[in-house]
Amino acid sequence: MSKKDFSNVTADLSALAATLPTQRTSAVAAVPALPLVKTPAPPKPKNEPVTQFSLSLRKDLRKQLSRLADDAEMTMRAFVLDALKAKGLDVRDDDLVDLRKERHEVG
Amino acid sequence: MSIITIATTKGGAGKTTIARLLLGRLNLHGMKTAALDADFNHSLTDWVTAVSKLPIKVVHELDETRIVPTVSDLQEDHDMVVIDTAGAASQATIFAIGCADVVIVPVATSNSDIIEAIKTINLIKSAGMMMKRDIPAKVVLTAVQPGTNLAEHIEKEIAKAKLPVFEQRLHRLVAFQEMSFTGVIPVNGPAGIQATNLLSEIIDLA
Repeated sequence: MSKKDFSNVTADLSALAATLPTQRTSAVAAVPALPLVKTPAPPKPKNEPVTQFSLSLRKDLRKQLSRLADDAEMTMRAFVLDALKAKGLDVRDDDLVDLRKERHEVG
Repeated sequence: MSIITIATTKGGAGKTTIARLLLGRLNLHGMKTAALDADFNHSLTDWVTAVSKLPIKVVHELDETRIVPTVSDLQEDHDMVVIDTAGAASQATIFAIGCADVVIVPVATSNSDIIEAIKTINLIKSAGMMMKRDIPAKVVLTAVQPGTNLAEHIEKEIAKAKLPVFEQRLHRLVAFQEMSFTGVIPVNGPAGIQATNLLSEIIDLA
Protein backbone atom coordinates (compact mmCIF):
# COMPACT_ATOMS: atom_id res chain seq x y z
CA MET A 1 0.00 0.00 0.00
CA SER A 2 1.41 3.41 -0.94
CA LYS A 3 1.50 5.78 1.97
CA LYS A 4 0.70 9.42 1.68
CA ASP A 5 2.78 12.18 3.16
CA PHE A 6 0.69 14.62 5.14
CA SER A 7 3.55 16.72 6.42
CA ASN A 8 2.41 19.79 4.48
CA VAL A 9 -1.30 19.62 5.33
CA THR A 10 -1.11 21.33 8.71
CA ALA A 11 1.31 24.00 7.55
CA ASP A 12 -0.59 24.79 4.36
CA LEU A 13 -3.98 24.99 6.02
CA SER A 14 -3.17 26.52 9.39
CA ALA A 15 -3.94 30.08 8.18
CA LEU A 16 -7.33 29.00 6.85
CA ALA A 17 -8.02 26.90 9.94
CA ALA A 18 -7.26 29.87 12.17
CA THR A 19 -10.36 31.59 10.79
CA LEU A 20 -12.58 28.74 11.99
CA PRO A 21 -13.66 27.63 15.47
CA THR A 22 -11.95 24.81 17.31
CA GLN A 23 -13.73 21.63 18.37
CA ARG A 24 -11.39 21.01 21.29
CA THR A 25 -13.39 21.12 24.49
CA SER A 26 -10.19 21.64 26.49
CA ALA A 27 -9.33 24.68 24.40
CA VAL A 28 -12.80 26.08 24.94
CA ALA A 29 -12.54 25.49 28.69
CA ALA A 30 -9.14 27.14 28.78
CA VAL A 31 -10.47 30.47 27.58
CA PRO A 32 -9.87 32.81 30.53
CA ALA A 33 -12.86 34.42 32.14
CA LEU A 34 -13.30 38.09 31.50
CA PRO A 35 -11.84 40.19 34.29
CA LEU A 36 -14.35 41.83 36.57
CA VAL A 37 -15.02 45.33 35.42
CA LYS A 38 -14.78 47.81 38.25
CA THR A 39 -17.24 50.59 37.70
CA PRO A 40 -15.33 53.84 37.94
CA ALA A 41 -16.50 56.32 40.52
CA PRO A 42 -18.36 59.28 39.06
CA PRO A 43 -16.09 62.25 38.60
CA LYS A 44 -15.88 64.54 41.55
CA PRO A 45 -17.65 67.80 40.77
CA LYS A 46 -15.20 70.66 40.69
CA ASN A 47 -15.43 73.35 43.31
CA GLU A 48 -18.33 71.70 45.09
CA PRO A 49 -18.82 73.77 48.21
CA VAL A 50 -18.10 72.10 51.55
CA THR A 51 -20.22 73.05 54.50
CA GLN A 52 -19.71 72.71 58.20
CA PHE A 53 -22.13 70.63 60.19
CA SER A 54 -22.16 70.15 63.96
CA LEU A 55 -24.33 68.17 66.26
CA SER A 56 -24.73 67.81 69.99
CA LEU A 57 -24.91 64.46 71.68
CA ARG A 58 -24.54 63.04 75.17
CA LYS A 59 -21.00 62.77 76.42
CA ASP A 60 -21.27 59.01 76.75
CA LEU A 61 -22.44 58.65 73.14
CA ARG A 62 -19.52 60.82 72.03
CA LYS A 63 -17.13 58.45 73.86
CA GLN A 64 -18.75 55.37 72.28
CA LEU A 65 -18.52 56.95 68.84
CA SER A 66 -14.86 57.73 69.36
CA ARG A 67 -14.13 54.16 70.50
CA LEU A 68 -15.99 52.54 67.59
CA ALA A 69 -14.27 54.82 65.09
CA ASP A 70 -10.88 53.99 66.60
CA ASP A 71 -11.68 50.27 66.39
CA ALA A 72 -12.57 50.72 62.71
CA GLU A 73 -9.45 52.83 62.18
CA MET A 74 -11.59 55.66 60.89
CA THR A 75 -12.17 59.23 61.90
CA MET A 76 -15.46 59.90 63.68
CA ARG A 77 -16.53 61.94 60.68
CA ALA A 78 -15.79 59.07 58.27
CA PHE A 79 -17.42 56.58 60.64
CA VAL A 80 -20.65 58.59 60.78
CA LEU A 81 -20.69 59.12 57.02
CA ASP A 82 -20.06 55.42 56.42
CA ALA A 83 -22.99 54.55 58.68
CA LEU A 84 -25.18 57.03 56.84
CA LYS A 85 -24.06 55.57 53.52
CA ALA A 86 -25.50 52.26 54.69
CA LYS A 87 -28.79 54.08 55.17
CA GLY A 88 -28.74 55.31 51.58
CA LEU A 89 -26.96 58.63 51.78
CA ASP A 90 -24.94 59.33 48.59
CA VAL A 91 -21.50 59.12 50.18
CA ARG A 92 -18.53 58.77 47.87
CA ASP A 93 -15.18 57.21 48.67
CA ASP A 94 -13.45 60.57 48.68
CA ASP A 95 -15.93 61.76 51.31
CA LEU A 96 -14.38 59.24 53.68
CA VAL A 97 -10.84 60.54 53.30
CA ASP A 98 -9.23 61.60 56.57
CA LEU A 99 -9.14 65.36 56.13
CA ARG A 100 -6.71 65.76 59.04
CA LYS A 101 -3.99 64.06 56.93
CA GLU A 102 -4.70 66.39 53.99
CA ARG A 103 -4.49 69.39 56.26
CA HIS A 104 -1.28 68.04 57.79
CA GLU A 105 0.30 67.41 54.37
CA VAL A 106 -0.68 70.88 53.12
CA GLY A 107 0.65 72.46 56.32
CA MET B 1 -5.06 3.62 -0.45
CA SER B 2 -7.70 6.33 -0.45
CA ILE B 3 -8.97 8.82 2.06
CA ILE B 4 -12.55 9.95 1.70
CA THR B 5 -13.81 12.88 3.72
CA ILE B 6 -17.50 13.50 4.11
CA ALA B 7 -18.19 17.12 4.92
CA THR B 8 -20.84 19.78 4.91
CA THR B 9 -21.35 22.60 7.33
CA LYS B 10 -25.01 21.62 7.61
CA GLY B 11 -26.04 18.96 10.12
CA GLY B 12 -28.49 16.19 9.23
CA ALA B 13 -27.59 16.11 5.53
CA GLY B 14 -26.64 12.41 5.57
CA LYS B 15 -22.90 12.45 6.31
CA THR B 16 -22.92 9.59 8.77
CA THR B 17 -25.33 7.52 6.65
CA ILE B 18 -22.94 7.80 3.70
CA ALA B 19 -19.98 6.99 5.97
CA ARG B 20 -21.74 3.81 7.17
CA LEU B 21 -22.61 2.89 3.61
CA LEU B 22 -19.05 3.37 2.31
CA LEU B 23 -17.36 1.62 5.24
CA GLY B 24 -19.81 -1.26 5.12
CA ARG B 25 -19.73 -1.84 1.38
CA LEU B 26 -15.95 -1.55 1.12
CA ASN B 27 -15.56 -3.90 4.05
CA LEU B 28 -17.88 -6.41 2.41
CA HIS B 29 -15.67 -6.18 -0.67
CA GLY B 30 -12.75 -7.34 1.47
CA MET B 31 -11.05 -4.01 1.97
CA LYS B 32 -9.50 -3.07 5.30
CA THR B 33 -11.42 0.01 6.32
CA ALA B 34 -10.97 2.56 9.07
CA ALA B 35 -13.05 5.51 10.17
CA LEU B 36 -12.11 8.78 11.78
CA ASP B 37 -15.14 10.25 13.51
CA ALA B 38 -14.63 13.99 14.02
CA ASP B 39 -18.24 14.68 14.95
CA PHE B 40 -19.30 15.77 18.44
CA ASN B 41 -22.23 13.36 18.28
CA HIS B 42 -19.91 10.34 17.70
CA SER B 43 -22.79 8.59 15.88
CA LEU B 44 -20.41 6.75 13.57
CA THR B 45 -18.28 5.55 16.47
CA ASP B 46 -21.37 4.29 18.29
CA TRP B 47 -22.58 2.51 15.17
CA VAL B 48 -19.26 0.80 14.47
CA THR B 49 -18.75 -0.28 18.06
CA ALA B 50 -22.30 -1.19 19.07
CA VAL B 51 -24.33 -1.98 15.94
CA SER B 52 -22.15 -3.05 13.04
CA LYS B 53 -20.63 -6.52 13.15
CA LEU B 54 -18.00 -5.60 10.57
CA PRO B 55 -14.30 -5.38 11.46
CA ILE B 56 -13.99 -1.63 11.03
CA LYS B 57 -11.41 0.32 12.98
CA VAL B 58 -12.86 3.57 14.33
CA VAL B 59 -11.24 6.51 16.10
CA HIS B 60 -13.24 9.36 17.61
CA GLU B 61 -11.16 12.53 17.45
CA LEU B 62 -12.34 16.13 17.84
CA ASP B 63 -8.96 17.75 18.39
CA GLU B 64 -7.91 19.45 15.16
CA THR B 65 -4.25 19.03 16.04
CA ARG B 66 -4.77 15.23 16.05
CA ILE B 67 -6.68 14.89 12.75
CA VAL B 68 -3.67 14.75 10.43
CA PRO B 69 -1.53 12.45 12.65
CA THR B 70 -4.50 10.12 13.18
CA VAL B 71 -5.21 9.85 9.45
CA SER B 72 -1.53 9.24 8.88
CA ASP B 73 -1.57 6.42 11.44
CA LEU B 74 -4.76 4.85 10.07
CA GLN B 75 -3.52 4.79 6.48
CA GLU B 76 -0.56 2.68 7.60
CA ASP B 77 -2.53 -0.54 7.66
CA HIS B 78 -5.86 0.17 5.99
CA ASP B 79 -6.97 0.26 2.37
CA MET B 80 -9.50 3.01 2.89
CA VAL B 81 -10.01 5.69 5.54
CA VAL B 82 -13.37 7.43 5.77
CA ILE B 83 -13.55 10.69 7.74
CA ASP B 84 -16.91 11.80 9.08
CA THR B 85 -16.96 15.46 10.14
CA ALA B 86 -19.19 17.62 12.30
CA GLY B 87 -22.05 19.57 10.77
CA ALA B 88 -20.29 22.90 11.14
CA ALA B 89 -17.23 24.63 9.73
CA SER B 90 -14.35 23.94 12.08
CA GLN B 91 -10.59 23.57 12.12
CA ALA B 92 -10.95 19.79 12.29
CA THR B 93 -13.06 19.83 9.12
CA ILE B 94 -10.43 21.84 7.24
CA PHE B 95 -7.66 19.40 8.13
CA ALA B 96 -9.92 16.45 7.24
CA ILE B 97 -10.47 18.08 3.84
CA GLY B 98 -6.73 18.64 3.47
CA CYS B 99 -6.05 14.92 3.94
CA ALA B 100 -8.70 13.79 1.47
CA ASP B 101 -8.40 12.24 -1.96
CA VAL B 102 -12.10 12.90 -2.42
CA VAL B 103 -14.58 15.02 -0.48
CA ILE B 104 -18.25 14.07 -0.55
CA VAL B 105 -20.71 16.83 0.28
CA PRO B 106 -24.17 15.50 1.11
CA VAL B 107 -27.20 17.69 0.41
CA ALA B 108 -30.63 16.82 1.75
CA THR B 109 -33.85 18.43 0.64
CA SER B 110 -33.78 21.88 2.17
CA ASN B 111 -32.70 25.35 1.19
CA SER B 112 -30.15 25.54 4.00
CA ASP B 113 -28.59 22.27 2.81
CA ILE B 114 -27.86 23.91 -0.55
CA ILE B 115 -26.54 27.11 1.03
CA GLU B 116 -24.20 25.16 3.31
CA ALA B 117 -23.10 22.92 0.43
CA ILE B 118 -22.07 26.02 -1.53
CA LYS B 119 -20.08 27.23 1.49
CA THR B 120 -18.47 23.82 1.91
CA ILE B 121 -17.47 23.56 -1.76
CA ASN B 122 -15.93 27.05 -1.50
CA LEU B 123 -14.07 25.98 1.65
CA ILE B 124 -12.71 22.94 -0.21
CA LYS B 125 -11.61 25.16 -3.11
CA SER B 126 -9.83 27.49 -0.66
CA ALA B 127 -8.08 24.53 0.96
CA GLY B 128 -7.02 23.25 -2.48
CA MET B 129 -5.62 26.65 -3.43
CA MET B 130 -3.62 26.87 -0.22
CA MET B 131 -2.27 23.35 -0.73
CA LYS B 132 -1.63 23.97 -4.43
CA ARG B 133 -3.49 20.82 -5.42
CA ASP B 134 -6.92 19.95 -6.69
CA ILE B 135 -9.14 18.35 -4.06
CA PRO B 136 -11.87 16.49 -5.95
CA ALA B 137 -15.25 17.20 -4.39
CA LYS B 138 -18.81 16.53 -5.40
CA VAL B 139 -22.25 16.93 -3.95
CA VAL B 140 -24.47 13.91 -3.42
CA LEU B 141 -28.20 14.44 -3.13
CA THR B 142 -29.68 12.49 -0.22
CA ALA B 143 -33.18 11.73 1.05
CA VAL B 144 -34.46 12.33 -2.47
CA GLN B 145 -38.15 11.69 -3.09
CA PRO B 146 -38.27 11.29 -6.87
CA GLY B 147 -41.19 12.68 -8.78
CA THR B 148 -41.96 15.39 -6.23
CA ASN B 149 -41.88 19.12 -6.83
CA LEU B 150 -39.36 19.34 -4.00
CA ALA B 151 -36.92 16.97 -5.70
CA GLU B 152 -37.27 18.90 -8.96
CA HIS B 153 -36.70 22.21 -7.16
CA ILE B 154 -33.56 20.93 -5.41
CA GLU B 155 -32.15 19.71 -8.74
CA LYS B 156 -32.75 23.13 -10.31
CA GLU B 157 -31.14 24.96 -7.39
CA ILE B 158 -28.09 22.69 -7.48
CA ALA B 159 -27.75 23.32 -11.22
CA LYS B 160 -28.19 27.08 -10.73
CA ALA B 161 -25.42 27.08 -8.10
CA LYS B 162 -23.20 25.14 -10.56
CA LEU B 163 -22.27 22.62 -7.90
CA PRO B 164 -20.45 19.48 -9.09
CA VAL B 165 -22.79 16.60 -8.36
CA PHE B 166 -22.65 12.81 -8.42
CA GLU B 167 -25.00 11.27 -10.98
CA GLN B 168 -26.35 8.81 -8.44
CA ARG B 169 -28.90 10.20 -6.00
CA LEU B 170 -29.67 8.47 -2.72
CA HIS B 171 -33.41 8.18 -2.25
CA ARG B 172 -35.27 8.30 1.03
CA LEU B 173 -35.29 4.53 1.47
CA VAL B 174 -36.05 2.48 4.55
CA ALA B 175 -32.94 0.36 3.98
CA PHE B 176 -30.69 3.36 4.54
CA GLN B 177 -32.53 4.30 7.73
CA GLU B 178 -32.61 0.71 9.00
CA MET B 179 -28.85 0.50 8.62
CA SER B 180 -28.43 2.67 11.75
CA PHE B 181 -30.41 0.17 13.85
CA THR B 182 -29.48 -3.17 12.33
CA GLY B 183 -26.01 -2.60 10.92
CA VAL B 184 -27.15 -4.38 7.75
CA ILE B 185 -25.52 -2.79 4.71
CA PRO B 186 -27.80 -2.75 1.66
CA VAL B 187 -26.35 -4.74 -1.20
CA ASN B 188 -29.53 -5.64 -3.08
CA GLY B 189 -32.68 -3.86 -4.11
CA PRO B 190 -32.94 -0.14 -4.86
CA ALA B 191 -30.74 0.87 -1.90
CA GLY B 192 -28.06 -1.64 -2.83
CA ILE B 193 -28.01 -0.50 -6.46
CA GLN B 194 -27.80 3.16 -5.48
CA ALA B 195 -24.96 2.40 -3.06
CA THR B 196 -23.09 0.42 -5.73
CA ASN B 197 -23.43 3.19 -8.30
CA LEU B 198 -22.37 5.92 -5.87
CA LEU B 199 -19.40 3.89 -4.71
CA SER B 200 -18.33 3.38 -8.30
CA GLU B 201 -18.45 7.12 -8.98
CA ILE B 202 -16.49 7.88 -5.80
CA ILE B 203 -13.76 5.40 -6.68
CA ASP B 204 -13.53 6.87 -10.18
CA LEU B 205 -13.06 10.31 -8.65
CA ALA B 206 -10.43 9.22 -6.12
